Amino acid sequence: MMLLKLVQFTYPNSVYHFVSVDSLSLTNPKFNFNSIHFTFKVRARESSSPRDGGSNDAGDFECNICFELAEDPIVTLCGHLFCWPCLYKWLHIHSHSHECPVCKALIQEEKLIPLYGRGKTQTDPRSKPIPDLEIPHRPAGQRPATAPAPDTNNFLNFGFGGFAPMASARFGNFAVSSGIGGLFPSLLDMNVHGFHNPLYGPRHAYGPRFSSRFHGGHHGHEIFHSRRGHQENNLLKTFLLMFAIFLVLVMIL
Amino acid sequence: MTASSVSSRKVLSKIATNRLQKELTEWQINPPSGFTHKVTDNLQRWVIEVNGAQGTIYANEKYQLQVDFPENYPMEAPQVIFLPPAPLHPHIYSNGHICLDILYDSWSPAMTVGSICISILSMLSSSTVKERPEDNDRYVKNCRNGRSPKETRWWFHDDKV
Ligand SMILES: [Zn+2]
Ligand SMILES: [Zn+2]
Repeated sequence: MMLLKLVQFTYPNSVYHFVSVDSLSLTNPKFNFNSIHFTFKVRARESSSPRDGGSNDAGDFECNICFELAEDPIVTLCGHLFCWPCLYKWLHIHSHSHECPVCKALIQEEKLIPLYGRGKTQTDPRSKPIPDLEIPHRPAGQRPATAPAPDTNNFLNFGFGGFAPMASARFGNFAVSSGIGGLFPSLLDMNVHGFHNPLYGPRHAYGPRFSSRFHGGHHGHEIFHSRRGHQENNLLKTFLLMFAIFLVLVMIL
Repeated sequence: MTASSVSSRKVLSKIATNRLQKELTEWQINPPSGFTHKVTDNLQRWVIEVNGAQGTIYANEKYQLQVDFPENYPMEAPQVIFLPPAPLHPHIYSNGHICLDILYDSWSPAMTVGSICISILSMLSSSTVKERPEDNDRYVKNCRNGRSPKETRWWFHDDKV
């Protein structure tokens, strides 16, 4: 039996929190909250195991808010799955916090990962209106480059916006002139995200980006870079310039 | 019970109804130990019997929780109170209101009736004294016109229990 007590501490959206009595580290309430959360998880496992003869596979894909099979599924970096409409409504309408509802980890919306199941990639989530509420487009996936192909003529494969059918498009001589423009934002996205430290800094630091973040991936990310990543940007620009020159050389050859 | 009359009596949204149905099914398959859901056809108000845990000062005592769900549960926390007589506890007022953060500011839509019950039982079990909160009389007087605990601006008042 875990014993609880209430302890006051400064937490952005609450005055007091659980702390377990068996671990009296009052200086670290977050740890204690997690330990309580853990108790719940254990119980949830216990409760799911008896039915279906011990397997609860469907539960692995249930939204943590509505408990239905996730619609427009989106997963946080902490691994918790939600419907995009459910998570959006919680974050923006009901809580105004940026915490994962399950584990209280900080949620950065540009780092949410949409899950694209088979046969769903052509469906624009905006075509399914949510009654009473304008829910923006689900954040787009961030697609790293594919592994280099053995054929030198096709060594580049870049995705645009994370939809699988586009990813296999190849850059022949003909396509490159129009392709370069789209290529660069993709590169910027994946590289800068690789360099950045996780943003566990002050919350207000990324507040102003909200309005732009939902209108598709690239636009939002670029604003993000110009504000936060000057040094990385310069490095990247040099790298990209060299890369472009290399690309042109390859095409000429 | 006056406090409950104030809680939102708007009908549950479709999302709320579906979720509560799931929670109820799960509860019926495997209820949290120490709790019994009193079966009614009212999905919006659950009455749950709490059995004090063995080895605690509430052992062999039974209390009743009343859980009222708002229209847009789980985005908003349910209203949870003890029906009279409420257990004597430093965080439970004589009108049944419970000073427990997850019922108010720290609510998360990933929580369930079951997880609330476990928290409340844990809170009970941690107590070593049977006494009311220090400000009980003042608080209860303020709530006389049937105010919901969700309208209270809760403030932590004791970290020794
Ligand atoms: Zn959902
Ligand atoms: Zn999480």
